[in-house]
Formats: sequence, C-alpha cells, structure tokens
Amino acid sequence: MAGKSGRSINNVPKSPVKQMIFSWEGILVLLFIAVNIFCANFSEFYNLKSLLRQMPVYLAEIFLMLPMAYILVLGEIDISVGSIVCLSATMACIVANTGAPFIMVILATLLVGSLCGAVNAFVLTRFEELPPMIVTLATQIIFRGIAEIVLGSGGSISVTNTEGFAALGGKVGRVPYILFLVLILGIIAAVILGKCTFGRRVYAIGTNRLAAYYSGIHVQKIRFVIYTLMGTISGLCALFLMSSSFGANTTTGNGFEMDAIAMAVFGGISSTGGKGNIAGGLISAFIIVCLRVGLGQRNIHPQVILLIIGVLLIGAVALPNIIKEIQKKAKTAK
Amino acid sequence: MSEYVLELKGITKIFPGVKALNNVQFQLKPGEVHALMGENGAGKSTFIKVITGVHKAEEGEMYLFGEKVDFKGPKDAQEAGIAAVYQHPTSYPHLTVAENIFMGHEIKKNHMIQWKAMNEEANKLLKQLNADFDSTAEMGTLSVAQQQMVEIAKALSTNAKIVILDEPTASLTKRESEELYRIVDQLKEKGVSIIFISHRFEDMYRLASRVTVFRDSQYIGTYDVDGITNADLIKAMVGREIKDLFPKPEVQIGDEMLRIEHLSRTGYFKDVSFNVHAGEIVGLTGLVGAGRTEVVESVCGITTPDEGKVYLEGKEVHIKQPSDAMKEGVILLPEDRQKEGLIMSWGLGRNVTLPTISKYAKKGFNDEKTERDLSKRLLEEVDTKAVDIFQPASSLSGGNQQKVVVAKALSQEMKVVIMDEPTKGVDVGAKAEIYAIMGDLAKKGYAIILISSEMPEILGMADRIVVMCNGRKTGELGRGEATQEMILELAMEKGTTGKGAAN
Repeated sequence: MAGKSGRSINNVPKSPVKQMIFSWEGILVLLFIAVNIFCANFSEFYNLKSLLRQMPVYLAEIFLMLPMAYILVLGEIDISVGSIVCLSATMACIVANTGAPFIMVILATLLVGSLCGAVNAFVLTRFEELPPMIVTLATQIIFRGIAEIVLGSGGSISVTNTEGFAALGGKVGRVPYILFLVLILGIIAAVILGKCTFGRRVYAIGTNRLAAYYSGIHVQKIRFVIYTLMGTISGLCALFLMSSSFGANTTTGNGFEMDAIAMAVFGGISSTGGKGNIAGGLISAFIIVCLRVGLGQRNIHPQVILLIIGVLLIGAVALPNIIKEIQKKAKTAK
Repeated sequence: MSEYVLELKGITKIFPGVKALNNVQFQLKPGEVHALMGENGAGKSTFIKVITGVHKAEEGEMYLFGEKVDFKGPKDAQEAGIAAVYQHPTSYPHLTVAENIFMGHEIKKNHMIQWKAMNEEANKLLKQLNADFDSTAEMGTLSVAQQQMVEIAKALSTNAKIVILDEPTASLTKRESEELYRIVDQLKEKGVSIIFISHRFEDMYRLASRVTVFRDSQYIGTYDVDGITNADLIKAMVGREIKDLFPKPEVQIGDEMLRIEHLSRTGYFKDVSFNVHAGEIVGLTGLVGAGRTEVVESVCGITTPDEGKVYLEGKEVHIKQPSDAMKEGVILLPEDRQKEGLIMSWGLGRNVTLPTISKYAKKGFNDEKTERDLSKRLLEEVDTKAVDIFQPASSLSGGNQQKVVVAKALSQEMKVVIMDEPTKGVDVGAKAEIYAIMGDLAKKGYAIILISSEMPEILGMADRIVVMCNGRKTGELGRGEATQEMILELAMEKGTTGKGAAN
C-alpha cells in the first residue's frame, strides 16, 4: 500500500557481504592476518602449537571485553572490573582453602563478582545522573581496598588444593577449555547484541537515552542487568586466572579494565556509545593476544609490548580521520 | 553608493549531489526589515550561511554597501558588520551573559580581561533592549527568549549594520514575541537593516516591509508586504494552492476516553482536571511555561505526579513509566523531535519500530523482515518524503521527521494520542499534511490532545480548548465560542509574568 501521493519507500536492504568487506571488521581481519605473518617471521617458535599453549594466560581478559562492549555501547564505562577480579580471586582462594567442594568455589566466586557488579549497578541506576567514570573509580578503590584488608600484611594467598583449578585449565587435545568458552560466550554476546531486542535497546539507549526512555524502554533495568553481568564475568575471569596462578595478591587484575576497554575500542566500539559490535571486539582481542604471545616469545619486555599495542591503538583510532584528510586534500588539489 | 546595503546576484551553492541554491538573488535596502520565507529545505539557511561567510558560493557575487566582497570565513563577515542570531542560540551555558556577549572580542587591557568594564558595557546593551536580567547571570539559567536577547546584544556589541534573525520566534511565546518585535523596531530606528526568517505570517505582517520567497533552492520573487495575502504567499512558497489549511473533519464524538482529575505536581502544575472523548481533539494551550507539557508528561509516566487520578475508559490507571502508558494505549508524541522523539542517527525504519520491537520478535530475536515491511507501510501511510527506510532521521526536514514520529506512534495500539507542538519548526505545506493526519486519527476514533502555542492551529483544529496559566487550568472553551482574545485573556490571567510555578 502506498501513500496518498503514491510515493513508495524502499525497504530492501543492501547486500550485507559488500558492507562487511569495507567495514572496520574487514580491516581488522586483514590486520589479524598481517600480525600473524609478522609474528611468525619475528619468532621462530611462533606457530599454532605454541600459540595454543601460551594463549590461555591472556584469554581470561577477553571475557571482560564482552560485557565491557555492552557498557561502551551504552555510552558508559566501568573501570572497577580489575578490582572486582582481584576481590573475587581472593574470595575464591579463601573458599577453596576451607575444603569446600569445587562447585561451591565456582559459585562463590561468581557470586562475589556479581555482588560487586550489583553495587555499581545499584548506585548508577538509583542515582542516574552520576557519571559512571566517577562511581566506578570509587568502587575500584573500595573493592581493591576490601581485598587488601582480607589479604592482610602478606598481601597474597595461595590455594592449598589446586586440583579443581588445574582441571579448569584442562584441554581437549591441544585446545584449552578457555578458548572454547571464550568463543561460545563471544558468539552468545554477539548474537544478543546484534540480533535480539535486548541488543537493539542497548544501542537505542547508547545513542539517545532520552528518546529511548520516551519510547518505553526500561533504561535503568537494562543498565542494572549489564553492570551486574559485568561483575559476574569478572568473577569468571578470576576463576580462569587462578587456573594458572593458583593464588591471588593485591595486584591481581591490575589494569584489566583498561585492557578490556582497549580491546573493545580497537575493535571499533565507540566509547561515546551506540556504535560497534562484538565481532570487531573479538577480532581485535585476538590480534592483541597474538601480538603478546609472538613478541613475548622473543623476550620482549611486557611494557614494550604494551607500548606497541598502544601505538597500534592510537593508529587505529586515528586511521579513519587520516584517510578522510587525505581524501579531502586530494579533492582540493584537483 | 548603491541603493542597497546588501545585494547578492546569481548565487549558486552546490553540495555533493545537490544544488542547495540555484542562481538566487536578494537585495536589502538600508534600514528595512526584509522577511525571507520558504518551506524547509528551500535553501534559506544555506543562503544565510553564504551571507555570513560560513559557506562559500560556487557562483555569484555579493555586494556590501555597493562594494564587491568575498568572505573567506565567518570572521570576515562579522568584521564587515554582519551578525546572525540563530533559532537555537549557540551560546556557552556555563558562562555569564557578559562573557557570551563579548566572546571573541573581549574588552582587554594588557592581555587582561577587564571584567568590570565588560559587565558594565554588557549591562548598557541589555538595558537598551529592556532586558530584565543582569550581565553576570549564567547563560544556562535564562529562558530561550532571554538567550536570544543576549544574542541580539552580542550583535549590537559588534556594531552590526546588518542583523540576520533566523526563526527567532519559533520557540517564543506570544508575549515574548511581542518583546522581540519591539527590539526589532528599535534596531530599525537605529538604522540597522534586518533580514528576518520565519514561518509565521504574523511575524512578517507585523515587522517586514518586503518579503523574498525561495522555493526548491530557487528565487521566486520579492514582494511588498502591503497588499499581499496569505494565499498569495503560500502559493509562492509551496508552488500550489492550499485550499484548506485546517481540514477538520466532522466526527461523531464518542465515549470519554481519558479523564484526569486534580492532577498536581509541586512546582509545575496544580489541580488540573480535564477529559477527552473518542474522536475529539482537545487543544491544550497557554504560554510556554504554563505547565502544559509537564501535565501530559505526568499523564504518560515520564514524571510522577504528587496527587490526582487518571482514568482511562472510566477505570483508574496507575502509570509509573512510559512503558505503562504505552501498554494502556496512551501515546505521547514529544515536543522535541530531535532529543525525545527520534534517534536522529538511526534509520527511519528502526525508529518507527523501536517502541514495539518485542511485539514482532520471536523468542527475543528481532524479526527484521516484519519490521521492515511494517515501517515501510506506516511511513507510506503518513506520506513521508523519504527514499528508503534506512536513511537517517536527521536527513529529513522537520515536517517529515514529525511524520516519522507519527508513524512510530501508529505502530502501537493507541487509544489516546497526545501531540506536543506537532508543527513546531514545520513549514506550511507539511503543516497542512500533519493537520490532515490529525483529522484522520480523530476520524478513526482516537482521542487526541493537541498542545500548541499557535493560536490559528488551536482554533482551527480543536473541538474544545483548555487554557492553562502558571500551572493551573484557567478555562475551557468550546469550538464555536473561542476567540483569540478570549484565549489570550485566560492564558495571561492576573498580569502574570509567564514564568511562574504553582506552589
């Protein structure tokens, strides 16, 4: 049925394949391949086998990227996640050392993480005008502070019975469990954000919170769920960290929030909200992991690796602008 | 010396893909108020930006006081004595009035800002304009009308010879408009030439001596205001005749749909009661700040009222948030399309289906095919001028954006439709279309509340008119009995200042 004037409005979408090739994700895939070729040439030990062996240490942080992506799409930020990881890891050790069954340890860790997330969520939704950056900066200090008090003067704790955690670090053939879990959770997160009503609403809130509210979206409910889940996933991250470190100390999880944010932003998820998708975040996360493994094999100092990643990040953020400028110059030159 | 202070000839401005201005001309006589009219998208704004040096025209010449000029940027235009006051004042809300007035040309001595001198100078300018606020007030605390006054003071502070007013009355109340007319008269007496853009005919009749009309990026003509009629102007602007601007259909008024009783919200409105029947259009009017928007926002759950009851079809309803109102079928079309009504960067289709996505979704998964088909159908139903459903809402003109807001409402199950200033910033052609849609909705049996500051719109469309003043309902008039004077009297009862609050 056409309108009174008989005008017809097109509703056939463009071919998705073409869009994908020219998108940011397309560029990231190319970069991923380039990084792997570079690493393989740079280090004689770099191959799939060594990658799978050394990867798990870095993979735990990718968990954090997933809910962080949602928070960034909301146009917000959570910088307390590193501290939540620290606090839940500490609690995991304590519960494990009481001799409780391992399933209890898992539940307790996830619960502590969720509670921390819920604290953030409560404050941010109860007082909706507060900036998330400041609230989570405060809870960052509080959560780590609690962990430090619990850890006491020694500042560290180890698990006496490592069996359960060791099992978490297990493998199917050569592929570690954690890689499966990262991919499964990644796909779930991507589908919910990209294909479900929940995701559409998250984008709506991140693009125009007021219009979303006027459209009947439960803005605060959605924010509450996401911040709480951020905590739960931080607990999950803590569990997998323990599967290789078997202990926690006051610096556990330090800077993880920035790593998670970096992965997401590098993946094209705008920190101003409403833009980007999980696929981009996942590819960029794996680029960073591969770089860390490859450069680490040649004994490059971790700080230098961070520096290289930082330069890449700035480049990634600036690239679209540089391209635009060049195009502009080319046009005016004509 | 030429006869004109400003003359433009053969101006053509091309944006990628579109000719925004096609060989247009314009002449401004010294000391005259010259109205510039045309539908949205006719090229008025682009033309203004060419004059103020923001855009550079590809072709054409511009003469200022008989001399050919070529502005490289806005600063050149400013120095040449051209100042522009925009519809949405582009000010710094956290700075003081004086700082805003002298932004970019502060009074300085040895690189130090002379605060005292600057404040005094600003106060002098404000006094000339009869402003009721001080130069040390923070900009953000002022009303839109006051902010506009500041912008005009800013123009005066640069000794502008030509002042351009871009839709200055669009967000002003009747009284504030009167105040603005007075200021414009004052400027004219000082010998300033003024270009005045407005959609309101009354502005033009009141102020301008000549009017130039643009349509579809082209120059249509310049006319003397004396002796021109609405019909002539509309024909020039739209290119066709609009026979009936207010196509109010005869509708059998049905049962009572919505009734609000003694609704109060401290500081905003007090003891407001009225009702609306199926098929009826109730106009809710009053000065800006009278509490009209606040009342309907409380009805729709955007805010919570302190006291009072809301009945829908005779049953009391408790609406705590917008989603509750939508469930009940009370749909609000908010006043601010860009901030509240639409997500401007999103495609039209997604905007239309945003409130109802879960209805089509299967197990939480979006059904994009159904969404696309539905939004296409609804957008065509309200006759939106768009190419496809994927183009961002920001690419449409105000009138078409409003149609998208209507389509968005139509996607829901409606009983009561509340339209808050649906034709604000909408050109005359699209206005008629929106009124027609409103009439259709009434015919379909929806109960409609129309909030508007525009008298002709209220008188032309409403079956019943509820007038508010200072947060209270001051009267209710039937369609036959209401006149402009009666409404004004009720709206300005007891010499109020227009910006008070019910306690």
